[in-house]
Amino acid sequence: MLGLIGSRLLQMIVVGLFLTFATFVLMKLAPGDPVKTILNIDDVAVTQAEQEAVRQSLGLDQPLVVQYTEWFWRVVRLDLGESYITHRPVADLIESKLGATMTVTLGGLTVMLLIAVPLGILSAVYQNRWVDQLSRLFSLIGVSLPSFWLGLVLIYWFAYQWRLLPSMGNGGLMHLILPSVTLGIAMAGVYTRLLRSGLIKSLAEPYVRAARARGLGEVRVIIVHALREGVLPVVTMFGMSLGSLLGGSVVVEMLFAWPGLGKMVVDAIIQRDYPVIQGYVLCTGMLVVLINLGVDLTVRMLDPRLRWRS
Amino acid sequence: MGFDGMLTSGKMGMNKRKSERTSTGTKTTPAERNIPPVLQIDDLSIHTRADSSGKRLVRNLNLTIQPGEMVALIGESGSGKSVTASAVTGLLPAPLSMSGGRILFQGRDTATLTSPERRAMLGKEISVVFQDYAGSFTPFIKIGKQLIEMIRRHMGWNKTTARVLATQALEQVELAAERVMDSYLFQLSGGQQQRVAIAAALMLEPDLLIADEPTTALDTLTGETILQLIDSLRHKTKCAVLFISHDLHHVIKRADRIAVMYGGEIVESGPTDVLVREARHPYTRFLLQSRMDLADVPARLQSIPGEPGAVSACGCPFALRCPVRIARCDSEAVPEMMVSDGHTARCHLIGEAQGDLGAAEITRTS
Repeated sequence: MLGLIGSRLLQMIVVGLFLTFATFVLMKLAPGDPVKTILNIDDVAVTQAEQEAVRQSLGLDQPLVVQYTEWFWRVVRLDLGESYITHRPVADLIESKLGATMTVTLGGLTVMLLIAVPLGILSAVYQNRWVDQLSRLFSLIGVSLPSFWLGLVLIYWFAYQWRLLPSMGNGGLMHLILPSVTLGIAMAGVYTRLLRSGLIKSLAEPYVRAARARGLGEVRVIIVHALREGVLPVVTMFGMSLGSLLGGSVVVEMLFAWPGLGKMVVDAIIQRDYPVIQGYVLCTGMLVVLINLGVDLTVRMLDPRLRWRS
Repeated sequence: MGFDGMLTSGKMGMNKRKSERTSTGTKTTPAERNIPPVLQIDDLSIHTRADSSGKRLVRNLNLTIQPGEMVALIGESGSGKSVTASAVTGLLPAPLSMSGGRILFQGRDTATLTSPERRAMLGKEISVVFQDYAGSFTPFIKIGKQLIEMIRRHMGWNKTTARVLATQALEQVELAAERVMDSYLFQLSGGQQQRVAIAAALMLEPDLLIADEPTTALDTLTGETILQLIDSLRHKTKCAVLFISHDLHHVIKRADRIAVMYGGEIVESGPTDVLVREARHPYTRFLLQSRMDLADVPARLQSIPGEPGAVSACGCPFALRCPVRIARCDSEAVPEMMVSDGHTARCHLIGEAQGDLGAAEITRTS
């Protein structure tokens, strides 16, 4: 247990180093120049000397390795630097957006679970019957629909035609519904299928037959005895979804003007705001590792056999 | 008081009936005292598909078990023993289905039971011990919790009372109850796992225990202690046992009656001593001959000719391997014929001298 946590923390450091260095190099290789953005070069006449001065003050004239090392040592002192554009500390910026992203992530996952759990259980129990066929169709549609299109359709009907729900921004529960539903439906298909196949597999286990032979009711056999093993692949997948969602679901955040991390990083990339991009990559990398640790611990909690094997 | 009434009146009724059973003298058999059998299987057929179009796994099987009696169902793999047991519990795996006959448990046709009624019966009136002891409990839930769950499901007791009974049941099978209650199944050895399964099966004092090859996956010594355990507990709880096995040796020592299955049919059945002494069906005779006797080790161990599991599609299922078969055996189905009281066999040659079966063994190996 402690060994697992230790190795994951070590992994976190390695992942962090690799991720940030890779993005650092790629950013510099990509065309575009933050100095020009900072000086608003398209609107104002700026001399070469002025550009050089800004470049020098930001340390952008230094060799790549020197720049990265400087950035790295600041990170070790928990300083992610500040945005070139707004001059706000990157840590503050991420912190202010992370809440909104987490909210919509949780919203999306809740909608997904509300659809996938009952549908997955029903289609496993009534395998190849009409419920299963219907859920198969639904899953296929859910997976195939592009979320930007689904989001637009939802906005058109619920916000524009029927005026039931707000379409933009973050202002409470009502604002959360449309982005959550858009995210949830997109994910639900995969999870329904995953839960179905997991549960079908565990329902065929000898211990399920034994539970029935002890006279337990079918609902109890499914929910208490079979579901535990059937849910394991779902938990693993859940970790992956959570990781990618916390990185900011760009499409949904842009579509619903949701002030989250995804929107922030797209803006930062357009403006070549290097410190913001670097800070973002570092934070999401750490989050993904932490979530995977959480998934591993959850799976161990669910399956005691794994706990004793190590 | 009617028998059904006693059944529905629960534990009290059950105890009453049991004491009644013990107080009666040993001279008369339950049938003579007119006590209905615990289990009566009439003309049971099982096919791999519901419409009888699939493969036939069990054909026209008759079997009766009296209260407190231990009946052994023996036969080689695929002869239909376990499928018959599954039909009794109503837990036939999905595509298989009963295509004919009926199963009466305590005089009630199990086909008429609703699904909840059947579940209420399982674990309380009919218990099962499986061959696969590692799958007898859910691996993610502690054993104590599952035992208590089972007791509460059937008795509706509170947790504390249920815990007392569960602890007692584990002590009955000579396990360290407290430690086992707090363990997961995979933390125990195979023999211990099977003990827990037996404890759970007999905990609520069922009328019938179905032991489906309970020792096959265990080593000989552990298997022997498990058998002793079942034997002593069945006497203690007056529980009838349907013992499924392919080991004739185990069965002869303990069963009151033996039914021998081949290719989905009971080819011979009778009281253990009668069957051992005067088996009439060639297959039973082969089985008896293939036993090892330490006092008299044969130069060559007798084996049954032909390919194991070879079942003739029509006529007698054993016809393909039978050394004494006649033309009728390949075409004409064999009815169940009475040899003596309680001893039946399905063989066309039942009344005739069958001669020495060993001759076939020599021709086969030459």
